[in-house]
Amino acid sequence: MVAAQTLPSAPSRVVLLGARGFLAAKLKAALEEAGTDVAAIGSQDVDLSGSGAAAALRSRLRKGDAVVFLSAITPDKGKGIEALMTNLRMAEQVCLAFADVPPGHVVYISSDAVYRDAEVFVDEGSPADSTSLYGTMHALRERMLRQALGGAPSLQATPLAVLRPTLVFGAGDTHNSYGANRFMRAAVADRRIPLFGDGEEQRDHVFVDDVVRLLQLVLARRWAGVANVVTGQSISFGDLARKVAVLAGNVTVEPRPRAAGPILHRHYDATALYRAFPDFQFTPRDEALAIAWRGYAGAA
Amino acid sequence: MVTMPTVGFAGLSHLGLVSGATLASRGLSVIAFDPDAALVDGLRRGLLPVNEPGLADVVGTPTLTLTSNAADLTACDVVYFALDVATDDDGRSDTGPLSALIDTVWPHLGPTATAVVLSQVTPGFTRTLAATRMASMPRPGALYYQVETLIFGRAVERALQPERYMVGCADPSAALPEAYAQVLAAFACPVLRMRYESAELTKIAINFFLVSSISTTNMLAEVCEHIGADWREIAPALRLDARIGTKAYLGPGLGFGGGNLGRDLATVKRIAGEHGTDTRIIDAWRANSTYRRDWALRLLRTRVLAQAPDSRLAVWGLAYKEHTASTKNSPSIALLDALGARGVRAYDPVAELPERLRGSVTMAADPLAACDGADVLVVMTPWPGLRDVPLDRVAAAMRGRTLIDPNGVLDGARAAALGFTHHRLGTTSQ
Repeated sequence: MVAAQTLPSAPSRVVLLGARGFLAAKLKAALEEAGTDVAAIGSQDVDLSGSGAAAALRSRLRKGDAVVFLSAITPDKGKGIEALMTNLRMAEQVCLAFADVPPGHVVYISSDAVYRDAEVFVDEGSPADSTSLYGTMHALRERMLRQALGGAPSLQATPLAVLRPTLVFGAGDTHNSYGANRFMRAAVADRRIPLFGDGEEQRDHVFVDDVVRLLQLVLARRWAGVANVVTGQSISFGDLARKVAVLAGNVTVEPRPRAAGPILHRHYDATALYRAFPDFQFTPRDEALAIAWRGYAGAA
Repeated sequence: MVTMPTVGFAGLSHLGLVSGATLASRGLSVIAFDPDAALVDGLRRGLLPVNEPGLADVVGTPTLTLTSNAADLTACDVVYFALDVATDDDGRSDTGPLSALIDTVWPHLGPTATAVVLSQVTPGFTRTLAATRMASMPRPGALYYQVETLIFGRAVERALQPERYMVGCADPSAALPEAYAQVLAAFACPVLRMRYESAELTKIAINFFLVSSISTTNMLAEVCEHIGADWREIAPALRLDARIGTKAYLGPGLGFGGGNLGRDLATVKRIAGEHGTDTRIIDAWRANSTYRRDWALRLLRTRVLAQAPDSRLAVWGLAYKEHTASTKNSPSIALLDALGARGVRAYDPVAELPERLRGSVTMAADPLAACDGADVLVVMTPWPGLRDVPLDRVAAAMRGRTLIDPNGVLDGARAAALGFTHHRLGTTSQ
């Protein structure tokens, strides 16, 4: 599932499609700090869901750009068919623009939502057949890009990296999804961390700074392939909440009724990522949580 | 007085050399042929192309005649075609060289000779061979397929003490030719006659059951690692169950290495694809094998490098298993490929480092030299000699105290006494 392609040169310019998101902002700052020319295109610049988006995008792209496609309506802003169709239209417009202005490298920020919720042990070979519209959307977008980049002769040499991050945490997160981010926000705001049930469900969590470092490597190497962005070490929500409580000090973890349903764990085999990036190492979890906590506490 | 047959072997790669020499060691007159004159010349001078315990002794048997002249096989009553069949990275067999060898030898078969295919062929090969060669066969029905059960590193031992012979026949109800029956009788074990296709599939079936045992063992061994159980305590109980057996493959390992098991899985996938059979269990076996192959890599990444990314690593063993120089499908090589440029020092008594790794891995002259200044020692091939390296000298050479020893080559109790954290398959780390 993972095909490494290493080329020596870093991209001359990186275009970020989706400039306002949590990850995009962090990536933009890191790339600029490293001296990379970055063009961040947000929805205020080009509304990718509009029918004229491809033309507007063409005028902003240069042949050979490295393009990181992050834009998406996330589940917190819409989970229904309308959000699905809007997200697909955005991908359609991006693909149309690529046909006229071939990029040098495309990095698609997908999601681990492409896998079925009930899938307990996942690697890149697991079927990307999510039962959610959001996961299906990402899987379809991956296919659209693959088709677009493999279709036109001018695009056939364009490497495509598909990254599927799991739960991303770090100060500045805009989604407040259940997990480290919400726990830290709650610790700052209420001194209480609400936990569904006993919090025994296990998940993998990745630190946003690590995702950014990995993305920089992907861009520098023009890496192509599919990789889950996961540490390979899951932790229960309960243990995670208690770690945050310890970091915050004088914070209680409060169980809340959990929706009925089976306990579903999720574990990842991160071997493909290890193989693709032998020199990349995740920040140890406790250290990453401490950094994130300092960010949340400092912003309060 | 009974005249013992003269037996020919065509193709002196691992299988042919081991099989021919062990048969000769039983007192039979064996003529071993290979068209490669340089190989034959080297063998005459004692240069063995494979590393196999006991092989040098049996190759020196006086009743073994080595030749690069195919016409010498004319004197043989039974001629085995025993060239190893190579596989590609996808497990597909290349029977081209075997067919070429048969083309070379066939015209020299004596008028009453029995031809036996011993090579690892795919189902249907022998029937096709019989059909295409029938016109020039010494006599109808004189072509057989014999299942080989060679194990790398134990090939001579296995050839000298076969459990049974499985013989594929054009007509299983017919008695075997007298000369061939005499050859098989030399080892006093059961002979099972069956049709060609059954014998060809028997070979595959044996390997499937091995894969099944290995995969089940490895899956449960991993469960042991998480819950405080120890597979070493479980395996003896399983062996005493007659349905599982005392010699079952119950040792946890780094997947099923080598190429033969993978070849047979690929063969059945292909056959199933043609005929429509549910073989998804094969996909699961393959995935589990790859997953367990990378056991040491995951451990290194999550338990060592996550905390200390600059750790110095020593690796013992490159070969895919002990007693062989082969690194094809070697878990050790897969590990080294995934470690990048970390300045790993490695040692193997026989196997050579692949060219692509020579920039990132340094070979040491001996095991202790590989450990010099290392934080972690990873023992990837269970070479017996490594068990004898004194652990206190390993400790003295190393800077750190982590042993990743999947096969339990090192003494865990002694390692613990010396302050090591010892990780092995099938048990919670100590």
